[in-house]
Amino acid sequence: MTNDDIQRFIDDILEALSDNAENEVSREELEKELKKFLEYGVPIDHAKQTLVKKFGGRLAPGPSERTLVVDLVPNQNSVNLLCRVITVNPREVTVKGDTRTIFYGILGDESGTVPFTAWKDFQIEKGDVVQISNAYTKEWQGDTKVNLGDRTRIEKTEESELPESNLEPKEYKIKDLKSGLGAVEVTARILEVNKRDVEVNGQKKNVFSGTIGDETGKAQYTSWHDFGLKEGDVVKISGGYVKSWKGIPQLTFDERATLDKIESNKISKKDITTRKLLLHELVERRGAIDVEVEGTVVRIRPGSGLVERCPECNRVVQNNECTIHGKVKGIADLRIKLDIDDGMGTVSGIIGKEITEKLIGKTHEELKKIVDTKDENTVVEEINKALFAHRISLQGNALGDEFGVTIIAKDGKRADIDVQTESEKISREMEELQ
Amino acid sequence: MRREPAWRIFASEYNDSTFELKGTGEKSPSYVITPLGGKVNRLFVTGVLTDVENVSEGGEYLRAHISDPTGVYTLYSGQFQPDATNQLSNIEVPAFVAVVGKSRTYVPEEGTLYVSIRPELVREVDAEARDRWIIETCWQTKNRIEAMIEAMKMDQPNAYDLRKLGYSKDLSHGIVAALKNYGKVDVSKYVTLVSESLQYIAPGKEKFEDIQHEEKIELAEQKKIKKEEKKKEKTDEDSEDTEKLVLETIKKLQGKEGAPWDSIVEKCKEKGLDENSIDEALNSLMDKGFIFEPVLGTIKTT
Repeated sequence: MTNDDIQRFIDDILEALSDNAENEVSREELEKELKKFLEYGVPIDHAKQTLVKKFGGRLAPGPSERTLVVDLVPNQNSVNLLCRVITVNPREVTVKGDTRTIFYGILGDESGTVPFTAWKDFQIEKGDVVQISNAYTKEWQGDTKVNLGDRTRIEKTEESELPESNLEPKEYKIKDLKSGLGAVEVTARILEVNKRDVEVNGQKKNVFSGTIGDETGKAQYTSWHDFGLKEGDVVKISGGYVKSWKGIPQLTFDERATLDKIESNKISKKDITTRKLLLHELVERRGAIDVEVEGTVVRIRPGSGLVERCPECNRVVQNNECTIHGKVKGIADLRIKLDIDDGMGTVSGIIGKEITEKLIGKTHEELKKIVDTKDENTVVEEINKALFAHRISLQGNALGDEFGVTIIAKDGKRADIDVQTESEKISREMEELQ
Repeated sequence: MRREPAWRIFASEYNDSTFELKGTGEKSPSYVITPLGGKVNRLFVTGVLTDVENVSEGGEYLRAHISDPTGVYTLYSGQFQPDATNQLSNIEVPAFVAVVGKSRTYVPEEGTLYVSIRPELVREVDAEARDRWIIETCWQTKNRIEAMIEAMKMDQPNAYDLRKLGYSKDLSHGIVAALKNYGKVDVSKYVTLVSESLQYIAPGKEKFEDIQHEEKIELAEQKKIKKEEKKKEKTDEDSEDTEKLVLETIKKLQGKEGAPWDSIVEKCKEKGLDENSIDEALNSLMDKGFIFEPVLGTIKTT
């Protein structure tokens, strides 16, 4: 390393210190310290950083420029961001048998918002404005996600660096709401309002939650402020963010959001219909409320057929023994657990008595009589005969977990295709490909 | 770990696969990459179970074949798949079966890869279930063909842009992997495959509207069509009718043992068919899996 190089590095350090020169430091002193680091073989970047820090300065984040959130794409390395932490939550995960805590949430700047995962505790809090360097991005559920790992550095900065008003809310349809979005604006009809009390930091608070919908679908919401919401209101909610519970998007907002009531015929009740999704679409979004899906039954799961439930908690009991309530007199019930699959996605379904009876064309009583004469396997066999390799359609709420998506059926029907019609349709469409 | 979808892939496309994407981690799954970008860990197959054979000397290790309109799937099932193995050894062949199973590969030497299926679930089904499966598999194959065509139009085929076009995450990644390993894919082969598979759909009752529609087309095109071609069309329709008639005859004649070939021919002749077309119909029905020959000279319906 030539003396010229060293002088250049010292220029860099002095430059970084010029904004915030609490400690006056001479060029000679810096040169002496820097040379000492270099003698010990400390890499020049690290030596520079250490000296800048020692003398109370702040080094511009690395060699690369700040990236705006809107410009992020998957699989970038060494990304530098200036962001506000919109939400941050801990989550316990098991990695190779060890339990560790990661943090996930949403970051935002003047250009947009992005979900993030922090693999260690950076001690960031909601509302912090932070300078992030050396983050990397991945693709997650079709979108970009920021990862904050071991090599990532985060420094809190002044809020004024990124005024909150910079986060201009963007308009979304309900079907496009997904976990990680911040500064959301949604126009929707309130379908349901539930009020409950929670304690936050020792203080009692009212929380309002329920369902909202527009012509593209339904979602859940949570309001941490009393906006006087009423069922049937049509409102424009501006400044919310989206979390998710079991894959179901939840629009969350508080007193910082603005709510404008608009004419309720803007979105009438009949505009809001059940959304049809292809199975892979549902799997990729991990969950949704009130959706309809269709697929071929490829498996009747164990636990299907005649079951007995605890009269207290409705759990399925074995030998009149509830895991919670001990010895009970079980109540007879009928259900199916199955997998439907369309070749691109696979979803489990849980189907209660009424819909089961409708799907298989036999009543609970009829099945009970079958068991009286034969054994319980015959019921499962009946279900298989009626449904296996047949197409059905299920409607209900779909919940996602690490094993996939399960739809809790509120309705269901048989949906076998008409082979001749379909065959002609494919023939016609194939001709266009030839 | 999420449950893998059960792909619908015709035997011919599945057997054309020569590349496997190996899982890296302890529990990360492996995938067979098909020429059209299927990223297959699990399949759902419906076809004719043609033979089951124990290939292990000591224990029970079954090899079975299932035929679909395009080719034959090979299944291996052993003691770790007790339900499937039990089903396979109890079903009387030939029979329509539906199978859910995992993709398996065998590499006898570098550069050669054979695919098979390890069944998780086997059930006997009817001809309608087979027809529905053919339709589903045609749609899915068409979807893959279209995705492949889109990808080949791109300068740099990538999953991100494919997903933006609405293709599933698995297929988008599969397409990219297929292009990398197979180079340019000849999609026309699979277009033909889909069209040919539709011929196997059971001869159905034509709807009144359909007949009307066809008549209209025929009227409009009558002038253009050469006489010869028209004649051929006529024969195609005839042969479908013949098949129906022959099938009906067999159903009437067969007892537990089946119907003797000679009596079938005789009965059909009485109904005004000539021997050649009866033979043709029998062969065609056999190909489609509606009838089989349990003993030489005896025919039975499946």
